[in-house]
Amino acid sequence: MTTDTGSTTDGVKDMWRHVRFLFLAFLVLWVVFTVFPLYFMVITAFKTAAETNLTVPTFWPQDWRPGNFAGVFAEKTNFNALLDSFIIATANTALSLFLGSLAGYAFARFPRQAGGENLAFWILSNRMFPPVAILVPMFFLFDNTPWGTDSHLSLIFLYLVFNLPLATWLMMVFFRDAPLEIEEAAYLDGWRPLRAFVKVTLPLVLPGMVSVAMLCWIFAWNEYLFANLFVGSAVKTYTIVIPTFTHGSQTLWNLQMAFSLIAMIPPVTLFILLRRYMVRGLSLGVVKG
Amino acid sequence: MARLEVQGLCKGWDFPVIDDLSFSVEEGEFFVILGASGIGKTTLLRLISGLETPDAGRVIVGGSDQTRLPPYQRRIAMTFESYALYPHLSVYENIASPLRARKVAADDRERRVREVAKLLKIDHLLDRRPGEVSGGQKQRTALGRTLVADPEVFLLDEPISHLDAKIRHELRTQFHTLEDLRKVATVYVTHDYAEALSLGDRIGVMGSGGRLEQVGSPRDLFERPVNLTVAEHLGQPTINVISARIQSENSQTFLTAESGELKFSLPDEAKAMLQGQAKDRVTIGLRPQFIRPLRETDTGLEVVTAEVDVYEPLGANGIMIAHSGGVRLIALTDPEMHYDAGEKVTLGVDISRFHYFDSESGYRLNGAN
Repeated sequence: MTTDTGSTTDGVKDMWRHVRFLFLAFLVLWVVFTVFPLYFMVITAFKTAAETNLTVPTFWPQDWRPGNFAGVFAEKTNFNALLDSFIIATANTALSLFLGSLAGYAFARFPRQAGGENLAFWILSNRMFPPVAILVPMFFLFDNTPWGTDSHLSLIFLYLVFNLPLATWLMMVFFRDAPLEIEEAAYLDGWRPLRAFVKVTLPLVLPGMVSVAMLCWIFAWNEYLFANLFVGSAVKTYTIVIPTFTHGSQTLWNLQMAFSLIAMIPPVTLFILLRRYMVRGLSLGVVKG
Repeated sequence: MARLEVQGLCKGWDFPVIDDLSFSVEEGEFFVILGASGIGKTTLLRLISGLETPDAGRVIVGGSDQTRLPPYQRRIAMTFESYALYPHLSVYENIASPLRARKVAADDRERRVREVAKLLKIDHLLDRRPGEVSGGQKQRTALGRTLVADPEVFLLDEPISHLDAKIRHELRTQFHTLEDLRKVATVYVTHDYAEALSLGDRIGVMGSGGRLEQVGSPRDLFERPVNLTVAEHLGQPTINVISARIQSENSQTFLTAESGELKFSLPDEAKAMLQGQAKDRVTIGLRPQFIRPLRETDTGLEVVTAEVDVYEPLGANGIMIAHSGGVRLIALTDPEMHYDAGEKVTLGVDISRFHYFDSESGYRLNGAN
């Protein structure tokens, strides 16, 4: 009996060891799969143009060229492109958050008066069509605005098409989670509705709001398709600058990767700075218990 | 100055919740509304405070009609069943909120908050967040927030029903000693009859129809319940309810239980009353304290033999659930005795304490209120 049980437990242990091994092997593969592109991006940014075009790629630069990072700014307007992207992303995020919060609040608190689930769903459905479907109509539409297509405003407004539904829908969920009674308690304390909103409800949804802001900002920062068609002379976003690093028919991968890495800095920094605000659960333990 | 008057209040969504409900609370009076969960007590408070708009009826405070006034313009303070504290603000700021809203000067605000906090024994917690204090302390913070506002009407929605039994009793006595609550009109909502009896100057029992079944002093309600709903709601263990037939045998009149063989003689004055109403059936209500195991010294009690089903020793007394002739009886017993299930006991029933209710409508027969 004892030996039997012993061998069975050994068998089970063996099996678990194998499962564990397989699991670890899978994780290693997964890490390689996800980290490799980033790794290749970084080393490419340091290579010479000639090395990036070798038929057999190198996995470690033969000749380190940190100067690539300065090189991307040889064209003065390239730095302005980062700035333009920043302006567009930030303004669009602010606008999305402002309008999305108001709409989300209305949907959460007065669903009937605000048009109900159907309207809320319709707004969300605006994100379901392929963006390219509205590319051309949008171009003609914005071409007829006083500021034209090649301006900050055009993209700031255009990106609302994608960010506003997201902001509205998410803020609606956050406002629904914020207990109504707390707001009502504020009314009874003598706060008028808008003051009560600012004093009580807004702080409760702030963590959610920060997350929504991140999502909106990153989308607007990284958008390429519409930017490529709309802007290009007066205003340039960094995304449409990247493909311009060419020399004749040769693509300058090293400069493209260097510029991409630089463009990654703002979103990553933002994420690190705002991470602690994104923790939810501020309202835990308030109602009952 | 401020007397609260509620006139013909109606509110319903898919079905009526509050139906033509009226009562008034004098300044300084502690009015308790007692009712089962989900019967519309909270809705009533929300209507009085202005968080809901009534479909009909009026809310009058100190002579002025406030029915259409938004909550932030009324001088009505309310504690929520869930406390509804602001989680992101300290206990101090929570209490100070009504003063900030009314732009009370900083030094006056500071003084009043500390005063209230001291009164409620939470002055050492002022820097904490609501998430960092206990349930009882949260309740006191919520109470502090309403007390500090110096309102004309207090509304308290089940303020202590979510707390442990011990803290609940401690806070119940606290309500007795809070002078501020005794100066204005207070409406206190609860489902716990003991809270109602203990605190209420007057009690209104709310029934399922969205109306007050009976309004009166605690003693009134307990001793002369206007109907079965009120009788069953007040008292723990619940009042014994026996449907009986009035029968005459050899020139004597008896009450015979409809579901069994239990038989009581009918006291003379009750006989006169029942015969006056020409009833042959009646529902008897009898509080458990008037049924007890018979002692040799007892006189004037009807004797009933019964078999014990369940016995709960509760320290200060015991609760015996027994059956006799097919009728279930709940009796309150002395603490020093012990009974086992299946044991045969002789019970003494004080028939002079019977309440008589109409067997159809459930309304009181002996001496309508």
